[in-house]
Amino acid sequence: MIALLNRYQGALRVVALVVGVALIIGVLSLPMNLLQSSIRLATPYVLGAMAALVASRAGVLNLAIEGKMLLGAFIAVAMLYKTGLDPLIGVLAASIAGGALGVVFALLYLRIRINLVILALAVNLFIANATVFFLRASFGAFGTLADPSIRGLPQIDIPILRDIPYLGALLNGYNAVVYISWIMVVIVWVVLFRTQFGRHLRAVGENRDAAESVGINVTRVQVVALTFSGMLAGLAGAFLSLGVLSQFVENMTDGRGWIAITVSLFAFEAPIPAFFTALFFGLSEAMSFYLQSRPELNLPPDLLLAFPQIATIIALVFVALRIRAGELLRRQTFAIRFTQEMQKLTRGQIAGD
Amino acid sequence: MKFLRQLLDGISIPILAILLGLAVSSIFVVIAGASPIEAYQRLFCEGFGAQGCATFGDLLFTQIETETGAQTVFSPTYGAGGHSLALMLEQATPLILTALSAAVAFQAGMFSIGMDGQFVLGAITATFLGYALPDQVYALAGVVDYDSAPASLLTAMHLIIPTVCIGAAMLVGAIYSWIPGYLKVKLNVNELISTIIFNAIAIQIVGYLVNFPLRSDMNNIARTRRIDDSAWLIPFNRGIFQDIEWFSGARLGIGLILALIAAALVWFYLWRTTAGYEQRMTRGSGLFARFGGIPSGRAALRAMLISGALSGLAGAIAILGVERRVVDGFALSGTGFDGVLVAILAKESVVGILIIAPFFAGLNLGAINLQFGNLPRQLGGIIISFIILFRAMEDFLRLQFTNLWSKRRLILRARAEQDGAAT
Amino acid sequence: MPPALEMRHIRKFFPSSGVLANDDVSIEVQPGEVHAIVGENGAGKTTLMSILYGLQTPDEGEIVVNGAPAQIAHPNDAIRLGIGMVHQHFKLVPSFTIAENIMLGIEPNRAGFIDNQREADAVRQLADDFGLPVDPALRVRDIPVGMQQRVEILKILQRRAQILILDEPTAVLTPQEVSELLAVTRKLAQTGHTILLITHKLIEVKSIADRVTIMRRGRNVGTFNAADLSVREMANLMVGRTVTLRIEKTPAVPGEVILKVDDLLVAGAGGIPAVFGAHFDLRAGEILGIAGVSGNGQTELIEALVGMRAIDSGKVMFLGHDVTHDTVRQRRETGLAHIPEDRMTMGLNLRTNLDENVVVTSYQDEPFSRRGIFDFSSVRTLAQKIIDAFQVRSARVGEPIKTLSGGNLQKVVLGRELKGDPKLIIANQPTRGLDVGSIEFVHQTLVAERDKGAAVLLVSVELDEILALSDRIAVMFEGRIFAILDAKDATEEKLGLLMVGSALDAPDHAAEKTHP
Repeated sequence: MIALLNRYQGALRVVALVVGVALIIGVLSLPMNLLQSSIRLATPYVLGAMAALVASRAGVLNLAIEGKMLLGAFIAVAMLYKTGLDPLIGVLAASIAGGALGVVFALLYLRIRINLVILALAVNLFIANATVFFLRASFGAFGTLADPSIRGLPQIDIPILRDIPYLGALLNGYNAVVYISWIMVVIVWVVLFRTQFGRHLRAVGENRDAAESVGINVTRVQVVALTFSGMLAGLAGAFLSLGVLSQFVENMTDGRGWIAITVSLFAFEAPIPAFFTALFFGLSEAMSFYLQSRPELNLPPDLLLAFPQIATIIALVFVALRIRAGELLRRQTFAIRFTQEMQKLTRGQIAGD
Repeated sequence: MKFLRQLLDGISIPILAILLGLAVSSIFVVIAGASPIEAYQRLFCEGFGAQGCATFGDLLFTQIETETGAQTVFSPTYGAGGHSLALMLEQATPLILTALSAAVAFQAGMFSIGMDGQFVLGAITATFLGYALPDQVYALAGVVDYDSAPASLLTAMHLIIPTVCIGAAMLVGAIYSWIPGYLKVKLNVNELISTIIFNAIAIQIVGYLVNFPLRSDMNNIARTRRIDDSAWLIPFNRGIFQDIEWFSGARLGIGLILALIAAALVWFYLWRTTAGYEQRMTRGSGLFARFGGIPSGRAALRAMLISGALSGLAGAIAILGVERRVVDGFALSGTGFDGVLVAILAKESVVGILIIAPFFAGLNLGAINLQFGNLPRQLGGIIISFIILFRAMEDFLRLQFTNLWSKRRLILRARAEQDGAAT
Repeated sequence: MPPALEMRHIRKFFPSSGVLANDDVSIEVQPGEVHAIVGENGAGKTTLMSILYGLQTPDEGEIVVNGAPAQIAHPNDAIRLGIGMVHQHFKLVPSFTIAENIMLGIEPNRAGFIDNQREADAVRQLADDFGLPVDPALRVRDIPVGMQQRVEILKILQRRAQILILDEPTAVLTPQEVSELLAVTRKLAQTGHTILLITHKLIEVKSIADRVTIMRRGRNVGTFNAADLSVREMANLMVGRTVTLRIEKTPAVPGEVILKVDDLLVAGAGGIPAVFGAHFDLRAGEILGIAGVSGNGQTELIEALVGMRAIDSGKVMFLGHDVTHDTVRQRRETGLAHIPEDRMTMGLNLRTNLDENVVVTSYQDEPFSRRGIFDFSSVRTLAQKIIDAFQVRSARVGEPIKTLSGGNLQKVVLGRELKGDPKLIIANQPTRGLDVGSIEFVHQTLVAERDKGAAVLLVSVELDEILALSDRIAVMFEGRIFAILDAKDATEEKLGLLMVGSALDAPDHAAEKTHP
């Protein structure tokens, strides 16, 4: 079968290209509000994936993104409750909180050497419980924290953008955090690949000894990476609580942190592919809501809500298959060519004798 | 002597972790405006104490009024008005099983936390069969329902129906655990992430089933039909130990016995059989296992199957013995994940699980009751997360200790040599 | 003129392992000198150099550089003092280019943004200055090992190192690359650099070093002019007793063909082939040594032969059976034993006890288990038998094994693999990291097995070991088996040439033996 694939490699590539183009056209022909939803809903995945890959590239898998996101969501709302402050302050507070948790996480992992997975589970558990604890104890709320004083993030209208046909509608009118997330992708890329710190970070993640031997302070790099990672996760949380409904709900993040990690893995920890992967997940989430709102299709809501999760599993399997297939393909190619060479040789020898 | 020292060694860190966890969590109690001592007394009393327990001392000995005057009794056996220990053991039962489930998976090097998903799928399976199967039997026997069925039929059903339900639940759990296992073994898909996702999917599936096809009445909150009485694992307080007050208020039943049997079997499997050996050697990089010829892929998959079966069993017992139907939102109870935490705290030892699971259950139980005193029950979760944190610091603490000890010894020896040379 | 470097009364103790790595060690090195530091594994030479380079801090003692006392708490301090270290295991980032690796940590930049042009220019300039040309744009993962080492050297020269520490630099090089390196070393010494050479290759010491310091068990046993000592004398000082450099063995009496390998193609990492058409026979009662610099496919060949790696093309016949697609267990049951390169993670499970380690290859057989349930008393008997037969010290039945020394761990591995009289023994670097006493023991054991009629396949990067033990010698280079010689025809020079892929002069040697 692999041999077959090999022979028709060229044809297969054309097929893949056609399918890709068809998909893009298909996506673009979806209703505009669905696409807008997708871009909006992709934001936590974009930020979460950036958080995941910054930490990963520095050699530390940040499995506590879920917790940091939830913390950000909570702090953003808590900051605004009854204070009536500008929502951007809430966003900033969420980011700082996420960063602070990132520092704590880093110190516990790097200095005290607690097992990464157990630490992450403990942190996630703690945040999940602590947010509800304070929700009830400090705010007297049950299940949700909402209040008129909590203003949601306003839509931003960019005049120049608005006037561009089609793209204008697609790119204009989102709230601040959405635009920040796009900027973050660029920032992450530039930092990782064009700055000294970014190079040190990648060195630490790829060969820690190499970095240490030239005097790079590995611990410091990892702490900074985890702090930045936490900040991004906090930002993602702020979007969840202020960018859609302007309230905090128990367990708002609902597994998005884990999906963000998957996005990062799927994109092999590269910022730009991660961005597009996140958009895809945003689309899948938007789809699930969209299909729910179309009762004529008669699809059960619960199953639709599982859309992103199913997409994640498919993504995970796809990544694994890609790696496997590539390796298998190379091996089989060599095997075929090798046996051909060997046959030629022995035939030659016999002829030569 | 060495055994005792090993035991102490094994116990000291967990106890230290628990104490530290409680200490740090008291900060949160203070923030919520309550007194830590009072809160903790309430917590432990509600979780482990007898009726009328109010202080730490009451946990062991209670003062009661009798006709002959005041008397002191040993609390854990004092059952008047029901005892929290019974309720605690009822809740510990599924927890023991999910913890065993996690331990079996971890021992094979699979960091699967899919217990929640397997638990709910097992539960719904047991529920459905719990009413559908008796329906069929009654129809075949020409009988309307439980009350009109002949005693001989009922006896047979009481034995067979629960067995079938449990078996099916274990099968479903095993299969659902096998899938992420297969993905890991064949395609190296990270099982931590995949099992988390599979959990979410399972919860959605069960949510759908409860809300639509299996929905029984037009109650506000969707729920399934109740299982037939022939499938019911009658709790002690309604069955054999009806008259013993200790059990009243808790639906503790044969499920606990099953859990204990499962624990013994798991221990035997891990430490006395070749299959368990294979699985334990597969843990880690798996190089050693492959080198020695152990079929580690098969061993890991076997572990996942057993793990899934145990969680499925937990779900089945939770339904057949306690809830008797699945209500929308049941899936969020988190028993599966709690099992993971127990397994981590117990370092995957079966004995450890048998000790820590009840403690865990009691803590959560006590925390729920704190709610009525204005302390959110999430305090329980907070305490547990700190206990885990401190437990995980064990190596750090131990290392500090060893370093100091060795240095001390060397300095002492050097000093002795010096003294010896000087004279 | 003060010494370039002095280390005085250095003391370093590791509490976690209870080892006194450096016990009152003092050395002095003159400027422009090539100074070798030799010792067995565990003698303390690497620790001493780690302290010098700031990777460790000493418990006691002081360091004096160019006459001035120095505090070296971190590699940055060492670098600032002009001390650079080329490590045994290269510290390079595979996906980075040569330029990026050399300039790691000191990248020319504008406010944090890297100036790629300046970086490439600086590297080119550096390469020219020292006569070590490199292409700055190549990625390190794509260049050969010798060039990687060159990058490492350039890395420290870029940081203006005057004192260069080379840690076992020739361990991964071909003989050709070794002479290149020695030439570079000589040139650097002539231009005023001071070279500290950590090695256990005594022949190299004789050819390149001015003076040599010998370390044994954490102590400095003495510093001598290299010219004044013979290799044998150095070896004796290293171990403290007279060493036999050759094993006494009777000539081999080869029997039937046990193993036949035909045109094997085995893939390595990423699907790229690592073994290209390996082809050889192995008979009972003989030791076939496979020489070659590590990284030429030996690991993949071994893994393919034992069943831990898939074979893409070709055939392996073991005792007449086609085992090409057999599992590890099936091959072991046919009579194969494997002494792996890595005893700590592959050969043994350090997390558990002796019993469970010893029974991993036989647990499904009687009497160790019956119908899936263990009979631990027979396992314990086996463990005790192995302890007795192989004199494994400080090991006790039922006790964890992670505290055992390297030599004793290897004895456990040998005991397990050799019980049951295997027909084919595959030994991969069996004496790596062992002290001389243990090395002797392993060698004697292998020869004894050979005399019992087993076929032994020995893979080693140590030419001395190959020459001492083998009856026939094959050389592996870039995945191919280049030439198979009788031991009596093999010399270090011949083997050295083969190891770089050059055919020997006489035409009737190489070509024929590869394809009979």
